[in-house]
Amino acid sequence: MSLRGNFWMGSKRPPDNDSAFLLDVHKRAVNTSRMRHYSDDEEVDMLIVGCGAGGGTLAQRLARRGWSVVVLEKGPFWDPDRDWVSDEAGSHKLYWTDKRIIGGSDPVELGKNNSGHGVGGSMVHYAGYTPRFHPSDFATKTIDGVGADWPITYWDLKRHYELLERELPVAGQDWPWGDPHTYPHGPHPLSSGAGKAWQGAMDCGIAMRVGPVGIVNGTFGNRPHCIYRGFCLQACKVNAKASPLVTHVPDAIEHGAEIRADSMATRIELDDAGRVRGVSYIRDGVERFQRCAALAVAGYSIETPRLLLNSGIPNPADQIGRYVMVQGAPQTGARFPEQMHIWKGPPPEVCSEQFYETDESRGFARGFSIQTVGPLPIEWAQHVLAEGHWGRAMREYMRDYAHWTLLGVLCELLPHPENRVTLADVTDQFGLPVARFDYTKTQNDERNIQYAKDTVKKIWDHAGAQDQLTIDRYAHLVGGCRMGTDPDESVCDSDHRVWGVPNLFIADGSVMPTQGSANPALTIMALTSRLAERLDRKQIANAARRGAPVASR
Amino acid sequence: MAWPPDPAGLPHQRRGTVPGGRGRYPDYDVLANRDHWDAETREVVMARVEDVPPIRFFDAEEERTVRAFCDCVMAQDREPRIPVLNFIDEKLYDGKLDGFQHADMPDDREVWHTVARALAEHRFAELSTDEQHDLTQQFADGKLELPFNPSTAWSVVMRYVLQAFYSHPWSWNEIGFSGPAYPRGFTRLSTGIREEWESKEEWQQDPVRDVQERGLE
Repeated sequence: MSLRGNFWMGSKRPPDNDSAFLLDVHKRAVNTSRMRHYSDDEEVDMLIVGCGAGGGTLAQRLARRGWSVVVLEKGPFWDPDRDWVSDEAGSHKLYWTDKRIIGGSDPVELGKNNSGHGVGGSMVHYAGYTPRFHPSDFATKTIDGVGADWPITYWDLKRHYELLERELPVAGQDWPWGDPHTYPHGPHPLSSGAGKAWQGAMDCGIAMRVGPVGIVNGTFGNRPHCIYRGFCLQACKVNAKASPLVTHVPDAIEHGAEIRADSMATRIELDDAGRVRGVSYIRDGVERFQRCAALAVAGYSIETPRLLLNSGIPNPADQIGRYVMVQGAPQTGARFPEQMHIWKGPPPEVCSEQFYETDESRGFARGFSIQTVGPLPIEWAQHVLAEGHWGRAMREYMRDYAHWTLLGVLCELLPHPENRVTLADVTDQFGLPVARFDYTKTQNDERNIQYAKDTVKKIWDHAGAQDQLTIDRYAHLVGGCRMGTDPDESVCDSDHRVWGVPNLFIADGSVMPTQGSANPALTIMALTSRLAERLDRKQIANAARRGAPVASR
Repeated sequence: MAWPPDPAGLPHQRRGTVPGGRGRYPDYDVLANRDHWDAETREVVMARVEDVPPIRFFDAEEERTVRAFCDCVMAQDREPRIPVLNFIDEKLYDGKLDGFQHADMPDDREVWHTVARALAEHRFAELSTDEQHDLTQQFADGKLELPFNPSTAWSVVMRYVLQAFYSHPWSWNEIGFSGPAYPRGFTRLSTGIREEWESKEEWQQDPVRDVQERGLE
């Protein structure tokens, strides 16, 4: 046992984030009574659009360092006690459900699958998996000849991963894959389905580990322990699951940030010199204009490109909106004679990253991860429908729900310039063109997905499943404003700064050039944590008004 | 094709309500747990039982057709029925759509109106059970004549149907689902062990074999 493992175990307070202590033990809502309010005319140091994984983390980091920060969030400021329910259909309001058009040969369903709305963003309704990316993810072009190399490496993010794992906090076993590491909280107990998956995987030589999940498993400030109620994807009413709403927003507010909810950013305004001077937004039906010294857009892979395109941000190389990625995420259900009660316990339980990197013998580049998932009745009915059942067959399969458990995979699908966000000729309730997202898989993608499905089938066969059902689907979104070293092939530089606009930053998952087979939330947070550090250290020249730039890298 | 019956011998429901009145969990009523739910969740779930929304989106002719279609695709051939159509109507009337629209399709509301018209042209509500089943199978197979992609249309309308049916607590009684579990949570996570308030199955039949034997596939 390593000393390092012991050092990190137990409930260590994060060094620079008091969010968990600022929450109330017996109420879930964030206290906003002392939140500072800025006037539209005040030029704030950093204006942020979107309060999800990227925007929420950036706001906390900068506010703590004394920056004046306003976050414009299109959705509401959630009160988990009042607004959230333990119910699938009743959670519709958590998703971005304004119109978007989907196209391409393999259209990707948006809404509840991958799109957040409100303070906390889509982490409010993510499962809770918080894996790191592997070092190889940052150089797939060099290592595997596919995808793209990032302008930064894993080692630029490592320190931020470690910080954020303490802030969420992340629970899980010692992690053997990628850059091996440990977690601040130990693994949660396993439910039936995870046990079956583990057994089947062991039996065919596939290693699994418990976690990593951003779900409290021990003492952590005023956030309670998980109660295993299973509604993680319907937003955690317990406050045990991490989202920026509970992990970063309280500390941001405490340090003077304003989270301005119900505010839809409509246009980025540039001055004659080509710098951002502020953002037009609509609140209570009235158009307003917030001034700023610098702007970070954190609206995720669909809305960030849409806002940039709707604002006419210089786009000489036609890069904005390109290389949007989703992960191939088929899920395979397995039937067992005993009851599995898949709804009990958090859906995210055990993972394998054994197939994460390229193995040429498999016939495709890059790989996939395997994770437990836990669809509730409506979602599981969609699986049964996808198999072609309806009517009595549907009812009969559904009566059998309690006997099924599932594994999902996340396949690394490769970035492609034609998988992109453009503006549709349809407008939304604000009169703005909505986003259109086209997506088409490549042959490498198809092979990866098929191999992953075959692998899961093997696990369930070894676990003794009587029958299996597989549904093809996609998960997560990244890319669309990727970072790079060449303005002709990217939207922003390694400091997230949009080429040609010195005070405009992209602070969300859309900067990612590749996606690995890891859930993106933790990496989005780590990226913006790094960005905040570089901004505050004045390592980004001419970015904001605060003092003279010290160095430019 | 003769339409095979439900599995023979499914027990009659003794507590609570299941659609059609028979199921695997004859003594399970998820609503008996409602005092253990948080008030916000209870209000949302109970409204589905106690406050069924009126029909406002579909006109009378559409209503007749689409109600017959919803009964057919969910095999609701006898009372008690979950009022699937009313919940679909409410979602469409309120415009609470799901956040994406296929490039080759109109708005979901227009999809529903058009599907209703197409089914009405076949006089769907007047067809025999077998005829309804055959026409629905055509739709499921992407062979219903529509001005847009019928397979995508099938996935659009079934998304609404399944959400309406499986958000209703009577369907949870049927499938043994424990429903809301806040603030109580779960304590018994291991295989084959249930909380004392969870459903107890009184039926053992592998549906895979059953569905194959009855020719439902």
